[in-house]
Amino acid sequence: MVIGVVGLVYLDAQIRHRFEGHRWSLPAKVYARPLELFKGQKMAAGQLDYELTQLGYRWVKHANAPGQVQKTNQGMAIYSRGFRFADGNELGVLVELSLQHNTITDLRQPSGTSVALLRLEPQLVGGIYPAHNEDRELIQLNDLPNGFIETLLAVEDRNYYSHYGISPWGIVRALWANIQAGAVVQGGSTLTQQLVKNFYLTDRQTLWRKLIEAPMALLLNVHYSKDEVLEVYLNEVFVGQAGKRAIHGFGLASRFYFGQPLSELKLHQVALLVGLVKGPSYYNPQRYPKRATKRRNLVLSILAQQNLISDAQKIQYQGLPLDLTEATKVSRYPAYMDVVRQQLQQHYQASALSSHGLRIFTSLDPWVQHQADRAMVEQVLKLNQRHGKIKGLQGALVVSHRGSGELLALVGDHNGGYAGHNWALDRSRQVGSLLKPVIHLAALETGQYSPATMINDAPVSLQQSDGTLWQPQNYDRKSHGKVPMYEALAKSYNQANVRLGMQVGVDKVLQQLKKMGVDQFIPAYPSALLGAVEMSPLQVNQVYQTIAGNGFYSPLSLVRQVTQANGQLLSHFPFAVRQAASNDATYLLQHEMRMAAHYGTAKGVYQYLPKQQQVSAKTGTTNDLKDSWFAGFSGQHVATVWLGREDAKPTPLTGAGGALHVWAQLMQHLAYTTYKDIKPQLIENYHLNVKTGKAMPNNCPNGVWLPIPKVSAPAFNKTCGY
Amino acid sequence: MYNNQITCSKYVSLISLMLVLGGCAATGYGPVVEDLSVPARASERLPTLPSQLPASIQVTPAPSAPVVTAKPKAYVAPKSVVTITAQPVSNQVVTVIAVPENASVATQEAPSVAQTPPLPASDQAVVEQLLTEADQLKAQGKVTEAVIQLQRAQRIAPQEPKVYARLAALQLSLGEASRAEQLALKGLTLVPNKKSYQYYFWKLIGASRSNLGDSQGEAKAIAQAAKYK
Repeated sequence: MVIGVVGLVYLDAQIRHRFEGHRWSLPAKVYARPLELFKGQKMAAGQLDYELTQLGYRWVKHANAPGQVQKTNQGMAIYSRGFRFADGNELGVLVELSLQHNTITDLRQPSGTSVALLRLEPQLVGGIYPAHNEDRELIQLNDLPNGFIETLLAVEDRNYYSHYGISPWGIVRALWANIQAGAVVQGGSTLTQQLVKNFYLTDRQTLWRKLIEAPMALLLNVHYSKDEVLEVYLNEVFVGQAGKRAIHGFGLASRFYFGQPLSELKLHQVALLVGLVKGPSYYNPQRYPKRATKRRNLVLSILAQQNLISDAQKIQYQGLPLDLTEATKVSRYPAYMDVVRQQLQQHYQASALSSHGLRIFTSLDPWVQHQADRAMVEQVLKLNQRHGKIKGLQGALVVSHRGSGELLALVGDHNGGYAGHNWALDRSRQVGSLLKPVIHLAALETGQYSPATMINDAPVSLQQSDGTLWQPQNYDRKSHGKVPMYEALAKSYNQANVRLGMQVGVDKVLQQLKKMGVDQFIPAYPSALLGAVEMSPLQVNQVYQTIAGNGFYSPLSLVRQVTQANGQLLSHFPFAVRQAASNDATYLLQHEMRMAAHYGTAKGVYQYLPKQQQVSAKTGTTNDLKDSWFAGFSGQHVATVWLGREDAKPTPLTGAGGALHVWAQLMQHLAYTTYKDIKPQLIENYHLNVKTGKAMPNNCPNGVWLPIPKVSAPAFNKTCGY
Repeated sequence: MYNNQITCSKYVSLISLMLVLGGCAATGYGPVVEDLSVPARASERLPTLPSQLPASIQVTPAPSAPVVTAKPKAYVAPKSVVTITAQPVSNQVVTVIAVPENASVATQEAPSVAQTPPLPASDQAVVEQLLTEADQLKAQGKVTEAVIQLQRAQRIAPQEPKVYARLAALQLSLGEASRAEQLALKGLTLVPNKKSYQYYFWKLIGASRSNLGDSQGEAKAIAQAAKYK
């Protein structure tokens, strides 16, 4: 007797300690950028549908609740969910959206009031999990949809609100049902007991456990209200497994299975979730849809039996599909998440990231990432078909936003996932001709060159520091005589570019490169001019970002803000720029790179893109075709592609024959927002006869329009004559 | 859990006291493979910490570009159970803020550029709305939130000079003169033929350089500004 009392006191203390001291480890949530909707916003074909699907929006006939979307004659009506952003709340709202040629032409409330800007909630793209891989999304009782508690109690614990934590009557009834059925169809555990089991006791089926479970449930019932216990149960219950990740609580379960917040669920979805409690693996709706449907329909029948719904409703709900989310759920962004994690770990302790429910807002663009993955996978497949299987072919792709330098997408592997190496970051390869734009920028910076400056593409022979001769040749093994600078770049002539680089000075070129964000030590050998410099695709993209940004370096960034679980702002990354080259020189270089896309080695992009889409780009190929590169920008996107073999052996691919295709397919599927061509004051366009270097009348044939600094304005010939 | 049902049927046939006391485990909901549902051990749990963040985690603009500003040593979690989910707010409407034409920036700017005439309104309504929101946030003392709004505008309209003007002015008012100078320099590349902007940006560059103690640079900027007055 005394022992019993002492035991009870001990249990009581334990229960109160655990229950009150209990807090779940909440993984940090990583969000993609929210989609901004406004008049004039350009979308890619299919983008809006894709993004809404990923967010778990449901297409309905009449959108009248958050999370619904409706097709209209002009476009669609979206009922957004609202979200607490780092800078404040965005309310859920119904808007009508007109779309013409994938451009938003109007955005208004049903009343007709125009809406300047609407931010959809951001897609949750991942979490940073603790070692035990438990994931959950906390909910409160008022987050529950209609009918949820009734369904849960009808199935699991009918007398929940009237029993004392255990229910002898429930056990007898369960027993009776089981004997009648000749099998176990009902359990006698109350929700309180179930919670005790999961919360306080290990999973081992010991006698001791059995003996203390009931008193613990009784004690729990004494100390806490039914609602308190229920709320903890709702968050604790195990409802599925995604790889290593354990899905706990109905809040996350709703996101996981339906892609929707719990509050939006309809009764047939509620019935499925409640049905899953009995055996999340056995009734896994993704793997065993038939079993799951049967279980769900049984739950609906129980509701009808207990007169919670009518028979007609039962039949109606039983006829509905499972309505699982169509969005892909496995972490689709391993390369991107990898960098997010790396960056955060510099600033936060691992335990803070995996347990405090921080919210991480990133610039990941789900559409761009989706298209980047596709472009890589599909083009690598095509290249393998065209050239016969290229052994160990790897690839990486980096996409950033031209205006801000934010990273939008990262592909770290040839098949979109990655195991081991993130080729976008971890590995550096020689960049080959991708360095030529930097030579040009360094030259143009001096003010003594223009795209029309003639450079001799004659054989070069340079003595290296070890005494050997370096005699780089052109790819076609020919010399092209005197060529204008823009052509040397567009056609990627090695001899002309080495001569230009030597005139400017290797050290000057490398200084320029450094200003653009490449800070590793690079010895100033002439071979550096042809890209005997190892860089990761991410670094290359940083360099091209500066060119795209009119000479202003913006560090590639991917975390916008970090907030606490309750929304309080913790960190924020301010947008910053630093001038790395003059606007004038960069403007001229951008034009030269545009010529490369129109007439030069990068012209293959127009197999994919319409002629009016402006592209500034450069191909890169290293010795013996070990690396196939393509980097450049168009509209609002800067992107870099690398392809090569894991073992760095030769491939059959040049930059134009390999990486270009990935790049161009990607751009083809991204919204093209024109980037205004703003000509600097001190630059003028001239219609040139490139052979004489003189300007000539606009109507002369064979002329080339080139931007040239006004100070080096060419002489004007009144005739077209040569 | 399904596996448990088999074990459980033994109990059913025995009708044991154990069953009466503990109930049948058939409705248990632990995971099949391993029990990950056990609450974190004390060592893994959050320490009990004050509900307020220590002052060292205040959000301030970072001095150098890509750095996370807050560096919580011991991160503090809110004490009570928190709801993180988006709260769907139904039947609420977006408040569309009236956009004043030619909204003047003069009043929000650092004193040294306060005398510049108002900048022309952006032709994008969305930009004006975000600038207005940023102004309101700043007026409420929510400077970081104001910066976030301006950065939103910068992403949406990266070639809109007015956004750079506001960002630069705000950074200058926060004492980030170097950052302000660079933003203004970038802004200049967008306005080769817009005198009011050229004047404004050069004034702001002058003020920034003055703050940085670069008197030579300041003089140059002032001379440039004079050209566009």
